[in-house]
Amino acid sequence: MLRLTGNSSERVFLNDMMNKSGQRLLECLQCGKCTGSCPVASPETGGPRQLIAQILAGMKDHALTNPMWWYCVSCGSCVTRCPVDINVYELATALCETAAREGITPSEREIHLFEDLFLKSVRKYGRVKELRTVALFNLMTMNPLKDMDKGIALMKKGAIGPLEIFRAGKKDDKVERIFKRVESTREGE
Amino acid sequence: MKATYYPGCSLEGTARPYDLSTRQVCSALGVDLQEAPDWSCCGSSPALKMNRVLSVALSAHNIAQIERRQVGDVVVPCPFCFRRLASAQQEMKADPQLKQRVETAIETTVQGELSVHSLLGYIRNEVGLATIRENVKKPLKGLRLIPYYGCYQVRPPKVTRFDDPENPSSLDEILDALGAVVLDWDFKAECCGAALALAKTEKVTELCGRLIREAAYRGADALVVVCPLCQANLDMRQDDVRAHHGTKYSLPILYFTELMGLSFGISPSALGMDHHIHDPLILLKNKGLT
Repeated sequence: MLRLTGNSSERVFLNDMMNKSGQRLLECLQCGKCTGSCPVASPETGGPRQLIAQILAGMKDHALTNPMWWYCVSCGSCVTRCPVDINVYELATALCETAAREGITPSEREIHLFEDLFLKSVRKYGRVKELRTVALFNLMTMNPLKDMDKGIALMKKGAIGPLEIFRAGKKDDKVERIFKRVESTREGE
Repeated sequence: MKATYYPGCSLEGTARPYDLSTRQVCSALGVDLQEAPDWSCCGSSPALKMNRVLSVALSAHNIAQIERRQVGDVVVPCPFCFRRLASAQQEMKADPQLKQRVETAIETTVQGELSVHSLLGYIRNEVGLATIRENVKKPLKGLRLIPYYGCYQVRPPKVTRFDDPENPSSLDEILDALGAVVLDWDFKAECCGAALALAKTEKVTELCGRLIREAAYRGADALVVVCPLCQANLDMRQDDVRAHHGTKYSLPILYFTELMGLSFGISPSALGMDHHIHDPLILLKNKGLT
């Protein structure tokens, strides 16, 4: 069992997460309203309460590989009901950025892949190309025929055009520049 | 009334009926929508998760472009885009250092003082129920509708500053003004699984299954949404829900603007109502509404 000694080194990760996320984690009462409200809390993901407990206990490796924050859809239920206003989706950003910087393999490979492909599409075209992103995701997860029935149903109704998967559309250089500049300022930190 | 219109990426793709019906309805209500110049993606949930500066910068880029030739308030149909644009302004205001980093990234200054509304909020509060009632030509008599707000429209309340985050009523009031039978339920602002649709489809099926089952239990003819992601998930996952629960559901999932347009006497095809997997047209015909 983990016992904290009160040594200041135990607080390095906690302080880092509080600074990056802007969340006052030390005020967490461990009341569990967040986990009770969370649509993605489960025995597999645990829930926000457990994630915060890990950070409070300085369990950096556990927190950075916790699937919970990958699952987080930023629904905002936790922060709406939290008695001390802790916003878990803002905490998720701090954990995701830290895990990426430290080269930790994403614990939820498929969620990471989707989010990555989405942003690549935004970077290139300025606007996300939904159908191309879906098709690429299904290809890369070795499941190219997934949801094909729904795609065909929508095409029959004229809701989507089959060409949209192949048609690239125009690029938006301004958005690509924003991505590049965010990357370069980050390296300069 | 003039307003700047930021459609967002989904409305160019799977949510085209939302775009079509929004333009039709606003025109009928006397709202002159001017599309935001050269708009780009707000970064949505992936940017929000993976990179805070990028997420704020992508919204700030749009805000700065709108500021340069601002036309009235900004109206955003997609609740996620709405929340990101509103939040980016608040985040930059609260953190000057972040604002500086964002301005470096977008290579311009940004005021961040735009009045950003969700489409639902704009129609309910700026246009108002009286104007809506004046435009109703074919009341949706006998149509049993269940209003579903989802997450991003109402939460977190500090960002959205809209309605009650646990038990909102704006959409109920609009549907009532259209003459429909508005059903009450406890799942108005529960989550549909949102962007997990691709990577964790089973989670979305589980969450959508709860909503569909409850809506059907309450006797809804259709479920009414304000969000492109809610619409796609609830419309697309009904067959998967059947595989899990053994019950066959075929509940039309409609944007509130489609129903507004219908009651204003606009044809269903002009509103994009023939584009959904679970066809509402048979229902509307049976109810004598087409």
